[in-house]
Amino acid sequence: MNLLPLVLYAAAGVAYAIHFARRQPTMGRAATTLLLFGALAHTFVIGMQTMEVRFNPVASTSRAVSTFVWLLTLSYLYLELTTDERAMGVFILPVIVALQVIPVVFPGMTNSDPVLNSAWFWVHVSSLLFAYASFALAGALGLTYMLQFKEIKKKHLGYLYTRLPSLQILDVMNWRAVTVGWLFLTVGVVVGVVWAAQARAVSPNDPNLQAMSLDDPKILGAIVTWAVYSFAMFARKTLGWTGRRAAWLSALGFAIILFNFLPVNYFVTTSHTFQ
Amino acid sequence: MHLFLLGVSHKTAPVDLRERLDFSSGDLGAAVEMLAAKPAAAESIVLSTCNRSEIYLASDDAARAREDAIEFISGFHQLPHDAFVPHIFTFEDSAVAQHLFRVAAGLDSLVVGEPQVLGQVKDAFQAASQRHCTGPLLTKLFHWSFAVGKRVRTETALGEGAVSISFAAVALARKIFGRLQGRRVLVIGSGEISTLTAQHLRSHGVGDIAITSRTAANAQALADAVGGRAVPWTERMTALASADIVLTATGAQRPILTRDQVDRVRKRGNPLFIIDVAVPRDVEPSVGDIEQVFLYNVDDLQSVIEENMSRRAAEIARAETIVADEVARFTAWQRSRAAVPTIVALRQRFDAVRRSELNRLDGKLTGLPPEARARVDEVTRLIVEKLLIEPTEQLKALPDEETQVAYTEALNRLFRLREEESRVEDEESAERARRE
Repeated sequence: MNLLPLVLYAAAGVAYAIHFARRQPTMGRAATTLLLFGALAHTFVIGMQTMEVRFNPVASTSRAVSTFVWLLTLSYLYLELTTDERAMGVFILPVIVALQVIPVVFPGMTNSDPVLNSAWFWVHVSSLLFAYASFALAGALGLTYMLQFKEIKKKHLGYLYTRLPSLQILDVMNWRAVTVGWLFLTVGVVVGVVWAAQARAVSPNDPNLQAMSLDDPKILGAIVTWAVYSFAMFARKTLGWTGRRAAWLSALGFAIILFNFLPVNYFVTTSHTFQ
Repeated sequence: MHLFLLGVSHKTAPVDLRERLDFSSGDLGAAVEMLAAKPAAAESIVLSTCNRSEIYLASDDAARAREDAIEFISGFHQLPHDAFVPHIFTFEDSAVAQHLFRVAAGLDSLVVGEPQVLGQVKDAFQAASQRHCTGPLLTKLFHWSFAVGKRVRTETALGEGAVSISFAAVALARKIFGRLQGRRVLVIGSGEISTLTAQHLRSHGVGDIAITSRTAANAQALADAVGGRAVPWTERMTALASADIVLTATGAQRPILTRDQVDRVRKRGNPLFIIDVAVPRDVEPSVGDIEQVFLYNVDDLQSVIEENMSRRAAEIARAETIVADEVARFTAWQRSRAAVPTIVALRQRFDAVRRSELNRLDGKLTGLPPEARARVDEVTRLIVEKLLIEPTEQLKALPDEETQVAYTEALNRLFRLREEESRVEDEESAERARRE
């Protein structure tokens, strides 16, 4: 079921790349249209899956990845339509396509762990996924900023210079994405703690719930992520870490998230493996 | 109907002659009206830019068109023929299309790829069209040229990259700050480049422009010219603290802006773009090492321009390919248009045969009910239509004029179209006369 959005995303990715190289406006519009259809198909898929399990579309990692991709696509579309800058697509789409492969290859199992049937849990996961989508955008914006910064600072105005947006736009967008992401990350973590405490009271013998502590790699990763972005926000306000430094921090933050979200989730963590 | 073009440009005429032949300063509409009154000018447009004056005509007689165009220029500008005739160039038919498409694409401009010329081509068409001096052929040609100009602009990088110091500086500022609205500019020292650059920045909507100079009068003069405010030389560091863009152009022999000074007054994190056009340089090179400071001196900007120039040059071939492609398509359209009288005559001939046969059978058909008679009429009409579809398409798509003449001739003989054609033309001209 996740295949159709994947195909549309891949097609959009190709169109964004051609648009980036040749800068034909029609190709740019085609790319956006394909991505819009991809997001629409994806909305439908997620809607169907929610109906199927009645409550929660985010309880398995594959479904969570799929929801994350969907949120990232919507956030990116929002960014593109508000700034009228398409150049970012060429950086975001590879992330979207690569991650969407996961739910296609490992279709998520239907989740029936009753522990997860809680509104708190739903808020926890959705907030974190939205935060991650914002951070993904911030990371791509940061990467783009560094490329553009290098061209201008080194006075070599080449291929990228003409194609990438201005430093100011990239910096402001990065700041917004980090702020939104940080807010949702905070909400997600706090709600997660509250929910774990509640759930532990209800079913004290659940091994997952017992494993929830700062020793758990996944939880530790989330705390590190929170610390990195909190520092990024603090440094911008007080130390004047704008521009390249802010860009660098948001790229680092997203690298940690990706690591935490995928390999840690599949192989290492003991606390977030509800069956 | 043929296309004809006569003109002078920066490639054929010296600047003083071009100035005397300029139409843009006066009333372009009056000029094109005067041109349209000439007998050979069925359709006329006058295109005038800083580097060219060109007369576009659609006419049945190219030789007469040339004479008329020369007469018109001589009459309008009060110049003897021999003052300008040695400098003119002329084109006919597809060469006219090629020339106009190259002009609209910016390929024929002094600075290749400059964007203003397309607007001027549009203005020329507008002026002629408002005074009803254009017709189907020139209208098609000019609309086609707008599309070519747009295509070259979007599909190639011909017009990209600034090719003057002040444009390059503004382009860079836009890549750093995005929109320049509300940005604060500080100009230190006055000179031609700083004046031009300040004017460009102003036209991009920057907010405050502060100008300082060791000679207060110079600062005031520049401030008046660009709508800025003069700041005493002693307060330049205060102005630097809040500036986004700094332009330095003093005649000082030692740097007037050092790294220490900049570090001291700047709030960290705010980007600062410094354009140093002074020689010797006004700004210590190490200022460029500060994290959010972008320092460009005159050599840096010069190399940006050279890079842009060579990139534009690399795009010329692609633009020429687009032009050639569009000229071929335009010529094909024009040829298909030339086939129209033959096609019309052929259709009328076939229809005449059909009608005479139906008339001949009228006696036998009267016995039929009205629906059946209508059916017979319909069927015969469809047969004629179907027989003619393929020949019509083929005639419109003939590859060159020679083949077209041969085919037209053959059809004329095979179907005795000559009488038919002249009748059609008579009717058309009567129609035109009636409308006028």
